[in-house]
Amino acid sequence: MKIKNYEDMNLQELDVMREISSIGTSHAATALSKLLQKEIRISIPEVSILGYNEALSRIGNAEEIVAATLVKMDQDVDGLMLFLFDLNFADTILSALLGQRYESFEEMDQLAYSALEEVGNIIICNYVNAFSKLVDVDISLSVPSSTVNMVGGILTVPIAEFGHETDKLMYFNADFVMDGKKLSDWLLMLPDIKSLNAILEKLGV
Amino acid sequence: MEKELKVGIGDMKLTRGEGRIITYALGSCIGISFFDKAIGLGALLHIMLPERQNIADANVFKYADTGIQETLRKLTAFGMVRSRTIVKIAGGAKMFEIKGNASFGNIGERNAMKVKQILRAEGLRLVAEDTGGNYARTMLLDVKTGDVVIRTFGKPEKHL
Repeated sequence: MKIKNYEDMNLQELDVMREISSIGTSHAATALSKLLQKEIRISIPEVSILGYNEALSRIGNAEEIVAATLVKMDQDVDGLMLFLFDLNFADTILSALLGQRYESFEEMDQLAYSALEEVGNIIICNYVNAFSKLVDVDISLSVPSSTVNMVGGILTVPIAEFGHETDKLMYFNADFVMDGKKLSDWLLMLPDIKSLNAILEKLGV
Repeated sequence: MEKELKVGIGDMKLTRGEGRIITYALGSCIGISFFDKAIGLGALLHIMLPERQNIADANVFKYADTGIQETLRKLTAFGMVRSRTIVKIAGGAKMFEIKGNASFGNIGERNAMKVKQILRAEGLRLVAEDTGGNYARTMLLDVKTGDVVIRTFGKPEKHL
């Protein structure tokens, strides 16, 4: 294996990952746009490789409540996909989908949670579909699982899953822009190190 | 202002006399508090995985086995007596449940089992725990009183 740690990736490899992630994200945005019947733009995606504590401080404060949808990847690429919504994003989506506004996650009922899970799942599936076509790999996805809880606790899930391999998280994020409003979201694609090597090899990087 | 120490993931802090030690948003990780009332010595350890597999890994506090060992070594150097020390644990949640994949995310449960097993083997008294469930916990140890506070989303604060 060429790469033993995420941080071993060179600039060219990172660029390639950013490019693929940009295509994945734009597919996800298109799907979201169809679902919400709104125009959605995306900012240029960033690839970050950060330790848990740094990743956390970028995303918010550890106790901040967010909604998250998680899907496990299998087959040619093993790893996790994690999509995080902050309250602002969740509220914007729910008001477009259900016509209802929410000022906190506590106010949301089962219907709102299901709607968020579905949106998370759509974003993840479209991202992964675009990704697997481009890289020419088969990826099977588990059913989605969701939670609304402290962001710090949610981020420990991928950190613990890969804890024996690495202390870092590699994630892509791009902001969605809807009605001129920036919506922050974090889409984390977390391949294990073996799969990351397979992806880079497949791409001939 | 009272001293407040923050413990990151795979980290440990100890203090004496007064002050509070806090670790935020324990998911599948476990927070382990140690408190020796007689000398007012307290420590809070935040472990992430049950066992260290790679002995070259210098981050001993990341793992239950090496983390507890190193914490006890440090506390003993500060005068801790095991028979006086009380231990409380929190965390070990399963944040996500994936249907048809029962083994996914059970790291929290394995962490809790391992921690309890080590505490027993070390002859330490585990007096309270708040583990399992599917939510994150913030854990705070008051070194003046030995009180442990657990904060969670959507539930009232709990004292261990």
